[in-house]
Amino acid sequence: MSTFTKEMVEEYADKLLIGLTEEESDMVLSEFDTIDKNIDIINTIPNIEQVEPMSFCLDDFEVDLREDEIEESIKIEELLQNCDEVSDREIEVTKVVG
Amino acid sequence: MSYMDKSIKEIHKDLVQKKVSSQELIDESIKKSHEIQEKYNAFVTILDGAKPKEVTEELISGIPFGVKDNYSTKGILSTGSSNTLRDYIPFFNATSIENLLNKGAIIVNKTVLDEFGMGGTGTTGHTGIVKNPWNPLHMCAGSSAGSACAVAAGVYPYATGSDTGDSIRKPAAYCGIVGYKPTYGMISRYGLFPFASSLDHCGVLTRNVEDAAIVVNAMKGKDKNDMTTWDSSKIDLTKSLYENAKGKKLAYIKELCNIEYYKNADETLKKHLENFKNTLSICKELGIEVEEISIDEKLLNAIASTYVVISCAEATSNMSNLTGIIFGPREEGKNYVEMIKNYRTKNFSPLIKRRFVIGSYVLQKENKDRYFFNAQRVRRLLVDEWKKAFQKYDAIILPVGTGPAPLLKESKDVIDENTKALEEHLQVGNFGGFPSITIPNGFINNLPVGVNITGNCYEDEKVLNIAYQLENKMNYKNQIAKENNDEI
Amino acid sequence: MKYKALIGLEMHCEITGTNTKAFSSAKNSYSTTPNENVRPVDMAFPGTLPVVNKEAVKKALMASIILNCKQPEYIYFERKNYYYPDLPKGYQITQETKPAPVGIYGYLDYYVNEEQKRVRINNIHLEEDAASLDHKDSTSTIDYNRAGVPLLELVTYPDFKNAEEAVSFLETMRSIYQYTNISEGDSKKGQIRCDVNVSIMDENLDETKEENWGTKIEIKNVNSFSAVKDAINYEIKRQIEAKENGTYDEMEQQTRRWDDEKQETVYMRSKVDAIDYKYFIEPNIPKFKVRQEWLDEIRMLIPELPNERKEKYIKEYNINTKDAETIVKEKDISDYFEKCIKLNCEPKEASNWITTRLLGYLNKNDIKIKDIYMTPEMLTEICTNVKTGKISSQQAKEVFTLVLEENKSPEEIVKEKGFVQNSNEAEIIDLIQKVLDDNTEAVNDYKNGKTNIMGYLVGQVLKASQGKFNPGLTAKLLNEEIIKR
Repeated sequence: MSTFTKEMVEEYADKLLIGLTEEESDMVLSEFDTIDKNIDIINTIPNIEQVEPMSFCLDDFEVDLREDEIEESIKIEELLQNCDEVSDREIEVTKVVG
Repeated sequence: MSYMDKSIKEIHKDLVQKKVSSQELIDESIKKSHEIQEKYNAFVTILDGAKPKEVTEELISGIPFGVKDNYSTKGILSTGSSNTLRDYIPFFNATSIENLLNKGAIIVNKTVLDEFGMGGTGTTGHTGIVKNPWNPLHMCAGSSAGSACAVAAGVYPYATGSDTGDSIRKPAAYCGIVGYKPTYGMISRYGLFPFASSLDHCGVLTRNVEDAAIVVNAMKGKDKNDMTTWDSSKIDLTKSLYENAKGKKLAYIKELCNIEYYKNADETLKKHLENFKNTLSICKELGIEVEEISIDEKLLNAIASTYVVISCAEATSNMSNLTGIIFGPREEGKNYVEMIKNYRTKNFSPLIKRRFVIGSYVLQKENKDRYFFNAQRVRRLLVDEWKKAFQKYDAIILPVGTGPAPLLKESKDVIDENTKALEEHLQVGNFGGFPSITIPNGFINNLPVGVNITGNCYEDEKVLNIAYQLENKMNYKNQIAKENNDEI
Repeated sequence: MKYKALIGLEMHCEITGTNTKAFSSAKNSYSTTPNENVRPVDMAFPGTLPVVNKEAVKKALMASIILNCKQPEYIYFERKNYYYPDLPKGYQITQETKPAPVGIYGYLDYYVNEEQKRVRINNIHLEEDAASLDHKDSTSTIDYNRAGVPLLELVTYPDFKNAEEAVSFLETMRSIYQYTNISEGDSKKGQIRCDVNVSIMDENLDETKEENWGTKIEIKNVNSFSAVKDAINYEIKRQIEAKENGTYDEMEQQTRRWDDEKQETVYMRSKVDAIDYKYFIEPNIPKFKVRQEWLDEIRMLIPELPNERKEKYIKEYNINTKDAETIVKEKDISDYFEKCIKLNCEPKEASNWITTRLLGYLNKNDIKIKDIYMTPEMLTEICTNVKTGKISSQQAKEVFTLVLEENKSPEEIVKEKGFVQNSNEAEIIDLIQKVLDDNTEAVNDYKNGKTNIMGYLVGQVLKASQGKFNPGLTAKLLNEEIIKR
C-alpha cells in the first residue's frame, strides 16, 4: 500500500521547479509502488536498522585536505560565455524579491 | 586498408613506422563517424576539423577517440545529451580527457548517451535513439550507447564511457565489445557531468582487454580537483595481463546463474545461461577454479530498488545547478521561480523528471529513514556480501543481463516490478566501487552477449588478467559489428 | 504577570583568515570588482567538484576548541538542498548535527558589565557562503565572489535572558574571531549575520524544563549587533503584548524577519511551511579523520584571547576594568595598545590616549584603527615628549589631533607649530620679572601668607609664554624670584 499520492507527486515536482504532465505523474506513482514494495522487503531483513548507511563507494577511504593555495581566477569572458543574460561583469536575472 | 578497426598497439606500430599518418587516421575516423551517424545516430557532435598530433612513445598518441557527451570538453559542445545543455560549450576539459589529450590522443566526436546517463536504453538523449550496429532494430543499451555503438562499428579503437549502474558494461555486452570501469577513484570524475556522485565511475569501451588497460592507464591518476581519487601511479594495468591465470579463483552466484531459479524462463534466457556456463568451462580450461556461491535472494532482489533510491536522490541534487541562469538556454519567466521552472519543465525528458520526484521524495525528512537510509543500508549489506566472496575468490563472474540487446520497440525505462536481479546485478559494482569488466562471450539470436568479471577494490590488475586470458581463449576479441537484420 | 525571555542565537561569520574559499581554490577576499575571484566550482559548472580547504577546517576546529566543544573523530559534509538565484549548485555544502559538525555541545563564558555569564553552545559548523545579489530596477545581478567563502555558523541554546546578554556574547565572539585571525568580523561587509530566536514564559516557572517554554519565534537575517538588540527588544515586547491581550495562544511557531527601517519584525512563514532541505552526506567529500595530534597542534596555535589580555591589563598594567574591556574588545585596538607598551610607552598613558581621544576619533569618523595615520610609534613619541618635558600636555593634545587630521608626524607638527617647550632659564626669568612687575598686588598677597596665589602666577607666566615654557621649571624659578622681592 503506497503512501504516495498524486497530490504529493505534484507538490514534490513543484518544489523541484519542474512541471509534470498527467501521464508523467501517473507513471511516477506506478514506479513508486514498485520501489515501495521492495522497501517493504528490505524492512524484513533482520536488524536492518542497525546497519550503518553507506554513503561512499570506498567506505574505508580517508582523505587529505587541500592546502590553502590560491589558483588563478577564471577569465570573466569564459565565466560568462554560456550565459544568455549578462550585465557588465555580472549575470542578470529577473528581479529577485523576497 | 582500414586502421580504425585495429587495436591500439597495431595502430601505434604503423604510426611509428610511418605506414600511416595521424591525419589519415583522423580522415578515416571522421568518414566512418558520418556513416555511422547516418545509420545509428551515435553522435552529438562530429569534429570535422580535428587536427593530427605528433606520434610519440605514448601508445595512444596520434590516434582518434570518442568522448561520451557527459564529459566536459574545452571549446567543444558538451550536452550530456540533454536539452538543458544543448548549447553549452565548456571552458575546461574533464581531467581524464585532459590526461588523454596530453598523451597525444585526438577527439573526433562526442557520443550520445541517455540524458545525463540516467537510463539504460540509449533512447533518451536529446538527439534521438541510438541503434545497435549489429541490428538497428535493437538497442545498444545505455547510457554509453553512442560510445559502444561507435567502437563496435569500428569508428576508432576506443571511446570514453561513464558507469553509474552498468552504463559502460551493459552497452559493451549488447554491442559485442569490452567495457571496463576501474576501481572508484582511480580515474578522476572532475568534468564528468554527475548523475549520482557516490556511484559514478569513468571508464572506457574498447574491442579488447589490452586496449582497455592501455586507455585507463592514460586516463587515471590522483586529481587535486577530485577528493575521491587516489594515487595509482605505481599501477600499470597492462603489466599483469599476460600472466598465466592458472590457479585464480572465480565465483558465480547460483541464484543468478542457475536456470532452476527462473520460473517460466524463456528460450533466450536458457541460451544465455547455457552460454555462460560454457564460458565457465573455458575458465576451467585455463586452470581457473570456478565455484558456486549463494547470496540471499532477498538481498539480490533489493539491488534494483536500492540503486533507484540512491541514484535518484543524488541525481535530483546533482542536477539542481541546471536552472538556465549561468549556462544553458535561458527561459522567460516573470520571476526566478517561473524562469527556472520553465527551463526545467521544457528541457528535461519525462524519465528524468520522474526520477527527480522519486529522489526528492525519498530524501524528505519523514521518508528518509525508510527509503534513503534503508537503501544505503542494503548497499552496505550487498557490498559486504561481495567483499566476503573476494576474501576467498579473486573475482566474481556473472552473465550480463538476461540475454542480448532487446528490440528498441520493447524498450522502456520505467522501474519494472519484474526486473530481475540478473538484469541489475552489475549495480553492485557501483555500490562497492569494484573494478568491473565486461567482455563478449558469444552470440544469441545473431546478437552479441557478454560476461562480466568483477573484483575487489584496488585489484584491477587481477580482474584484467583474468579477462585478458579468457578473451584470448574465446573468439570474440576485436570483433567489428556486422549488420544483420535477420530476426531469429 | 511578569515574564522572562529565552533567547538563542545563530551566528554566521565569514572566515576571512584563509587565502582560499572553503571548497574552491579561488581567492577568499572581499572585492568590489564582480566575479573577480571565481573558480569553476563557484559557479557550479557541470562536472566541477568541491575540494576542502585544510586551513578553513583548521580555523573551524580552533573555534570549536575555544568554545569548549567536542570535536568529531571524522569530519563529513552535507548538502542542504534549495533553489535560490544566489546558490549556483542548488545546494549549500554545510554540516548538520548528524553525523557530526566540527564542534558540538560546548559553552563560552562572557561578561556583561563585569559579571561573568555562561552560554551553552549546541554546535558550530563549517559551511559555504552564497553569491551576492545586487538589485536594480527590474533586474538583479549576481556576483559570485562571495560564493564559496567559508562560513562558521554557531548555534547557542536559548540561554540569554535579554538583549544585552546576547549582544555581549556576540561582541565577545567577534573579538575571539578577530584575535584568532578567523575573521575580521566586519558586519559592514556582511561578514557577520545573525538569526535570533525569542520566546517568553511566566517568570515564576522553571526555564530548565522545556515544557515551560513559550512559542519559539525565529527572526532571520539580523545583520548588525544593534539590530540584534532592537529585534530582541521588539519581539519581547510584541510577545508580552500578545500575552496580555490574550492572543498569545493563537501564535504559531514562526519565522519572522527584522525590518531595519520600520524597526519591527515581520511575519515570513509558519513552522508548518518550513522548507525540507533534504540533507544528505556530500558524496564528493570523503570522510576526513581528525587526528588528536592535529587538534593538539591547533590548540597550541590559539593566541592570547581577549579575556586573558584583559586580566593582564588589569593586573600587570594597573588599568581599570572598564578601560581594559574597552581596549580588548577589538583586536586591532588591543594590538595597537600592546605595541605602544612594547615601545616603552607608559601603559596608563597609552590607555588614556586610546580609550578617550583615539577611540573617540575613530567613532566620530567611523573608521578603523588600521586606517589612521598615527602609528603606535607616533603615539609613544607624543607620550615620551610630555614625560621628558619636551612639550606640554596641552600641546600634546593639539599634536595628537593634528597628526590624525593632517597626516604628519608628531615631530613635524611640533616643529611647524613651534611647540618646543622652552627651558631656557634666562628667558623664563625675564618673563617672570615682567609678570611679577605687572602683578604687584598678587606679590603682596603672597608675602602676606596667601601662598596659594602661586598657581595663579605660574599660570600667568605660562600664558604669557604662549604655553611654551616648561611648567615645572617655571614654577621652580618663580618660587626663587618671588622670594627675592
